[in-house]
Amino acid sequence: MIISRRSLFSRILQGLGVSLIVNQHLPVAQAAGEESARDESGPLIVRVTRPFDAETPVREFTSFLTPNHRFFVRSHFGPPPPEAVSEANWKLRVGGLVEGSHEFTLTDLRQMEAVTITAVVQCSGNGRAFHRPKVPGVQWERGAVGNAQWTGVRLRDVLGTAAVQAGARHVQFQGADRPVVASVPLFTRSIPLKKALHPDTILAYEMNGRPLPILHGAPLRVITPGWMADSCTKWLTEITVQADESTGYYMQTAYRLPTTPVEPGASASGQSTPVEAMVVKSLIAAPQEDETVKSGPVAIQGMAWSGEAKVVKVEVSLDEGKTWESARLIGEDHPYAWRQWQLVWNPRTAGTFTILCRATDVRGETQPATSPWNPSGFLWNGWDRVSVTVAL
Amino acid sequence: MTNAGHMIIFSLVIGLVGLAVVTAAQEEDPATVSAALAPRAEGLVIARCSVCHSPDLIAQQRLPRPRWEATVEKMKHWGAEISDDETDLLVRYLSARYHPGAPDHLSPLDSELRKAEPLTQEPVAEGPLTGVAVRGAGIFEHNCQGCHGTGATGGMGPKLAKNPILKHEDLFWETVLHGRGPMPAWGSVLSRQDIADIHAWLLAR
Ligand code: HEC
Ligand code: HEC
Repeated sequence: MIISRRSLFSRILQGLGVSLIVNQHLPVAQAAGEESARDESGPLIVRVTRPFDAETPVREFTSFLTPNHRFFVRSHFGPPPPEAVSEANWKLRVGGLVEGSHEFTLTDLRQMEAVTITAVVQCSGNGRAFHRPKVPGVQWERGAVGNAQWTGVRLRDVLGTAAVQAGARHVQFQGADRPVVASVPLFTRSIPLKKALHPDTILAYEMNGRPLPILHGAPLRVITPGWMADSCTKWLTEITVQADESTGYYMQTAYRLPTTPVEPGASASGQSTPVEAMVVKSLIAAPQEDETVKSGPVAIQGMAWSGEAKVVKVEVSLDEGKTWESARLIGEDHPYAWRQWQLVWNPRTAGTFTILCRATDVRGETQPATSPWNPSGFLWNGWDRVSVTVAL
Repeated sequence: MTNAGHMIIFSLVIGLVGLAVVTAAQEEDPATVSAALAPRAEGLVIARCSVCHSPDLIAQQRLPRPRWEATVEKMKHWGAEISDDETDLLVRYLSARYHPGAPDHLSPLDSELRKAEPLTQEPVAEGPLTGVAVRGAGIFEHNCQGCHGTGATGGMGPKLAKNPILKHEDLFWETVLHGRGPMPAWGSVLSRQDIADIHAWLLAR
């Protein structure tokens, strides 16, 4: 059966239960784009309808693992045509500074030692909407992040089979996704060899114990635990071992941070460095924004994570950051996963309250009130903030 | 000079001053500017800016004019098919409607403004048109290929080569002139001759 990309796309969305108001019959209203993407009641909040970008409503983060159908979705060109990534046609090619060139089928990969890692995956632009002055890009708020169990093979086992040559410094990833117009640069990315050879860097074919869904990169994606998701190439088909960082827009212009702070509102110029590790961050998953809670004990809960370091403290403030009270870290504790936390609050008066939270990691890094401004709005980790009403 | 002559010059000067005042007022008030430009600009957003991504990506930005200029330039560089005049119009419109101070939730455009204004002031051709396939190839590449694929073999939009609709000319014209769902309306962007040329080229595929 031949399925057009468009009908496949609508099916994926139906599968997700996304109630899309794409305004198919009102193209101008869609162009004005006002309300189409703002439905916050579905499993995902749609930010861009094509290619599909959507974030998870923060209320879902009360569970330790983020279910696949609620996990945020981000790509530059949308999934490749199903034929390109079907098990029968798909192959992974490894070349560049390696002995010979190598091809792997999914069966080959499944015969290698499997590893499972629980890790946070987060878009570099998560929280972009909070930077002031505002910056261009998908206006992600709080939910372009999730925590899942990823199963696959170690990248270093795949590279080991191919024997990396002297002079190799970077490993480039290319997925099967393509822009609709060929003059748009491909999403080509590389990571330093050191990260590539780290035993926890894997090529995943399962997500939360299920085959990787097409929206999340089926049949194979990169997982670089502790690093931002721009290194986690989906629909992976080519690995090239090379001396230098990848060339091209998505490595040399996009996903970079200025090495010295820039004046808010200024444009990018001067030295920059690729976005790599995540910064320390926490969110309040309950209560929710604008919720009305009854007086009496209220459980404030959420999650906290920090790229390559352990979270050691989460604090909550009910007075705009003047005083802070430590929350209890609870639940599972894994190196790259997020840590859940809880604090019982006893509001004694009725009214509107703002709950703030901030996390600190073992290196002593603490979430700032607001993050340093940068031209692309990456790495937002300002204090999380939720306003609730207490009714007596 | 006669009194009448003075009167003419006087009214001309008043007229010019009046015009300048109106223009200045429009330039100052983003809402007026965006409302005035919306009919043409929204047509461009649909036909030119929605090839690679849906327009909601555009409407969620709140940027000052220099950033809009840079963004539109980047899109042109990547393949957005817009002329210099169209670029100028779009930048003025986008920076008036989606400026940093604009509210998160903008009120929808007035439905009256939604009727896209003709972009080409060409008289509607009389009588049957003969399409020229060679010309059609180029026009297709610039306007349709992004969605319908190289060689019209399909992409985000359906395959058009050997598509039965080519034989139902009225339906073909209806769809291309007025659009359908995500398919933009081309009646205000392309001339009838252009469309006939595309049709001829598609038939030969
Ligand atoms: C040839 C394909 C193409 C066309 C046509 C196109 N864009 Fe884009 N646009 C892109 C790509 C690719 C991105 C980056 C998307 C991503 O990061 O997911 C983008 C992103 C954007 C963004 C987000 C900000 C940014 O810089 O990433 C805006 C705003 C935008 N486009 C506006 C426009 C406007 C206005 C037009 C019409 C003049 C247009 N686009 C036409 C390909 C295109
Ligand atoms: C922004 C993307 C886009 C562009 C650009 C575009 N189309 Fe389309 N077109 C579509 C989509 C999507 C459909 C399917 C509409 C539907 O589902 O009703 C379509 C449908 C059509 C159909 C009807 C096909 C059928 O099987 O019924 C014709 C004919 C057509 N387009 C011609 C053109 C021509 C000619 C151009 C260039 C002048 C063009 N399109 C440019 C997206 C596009």
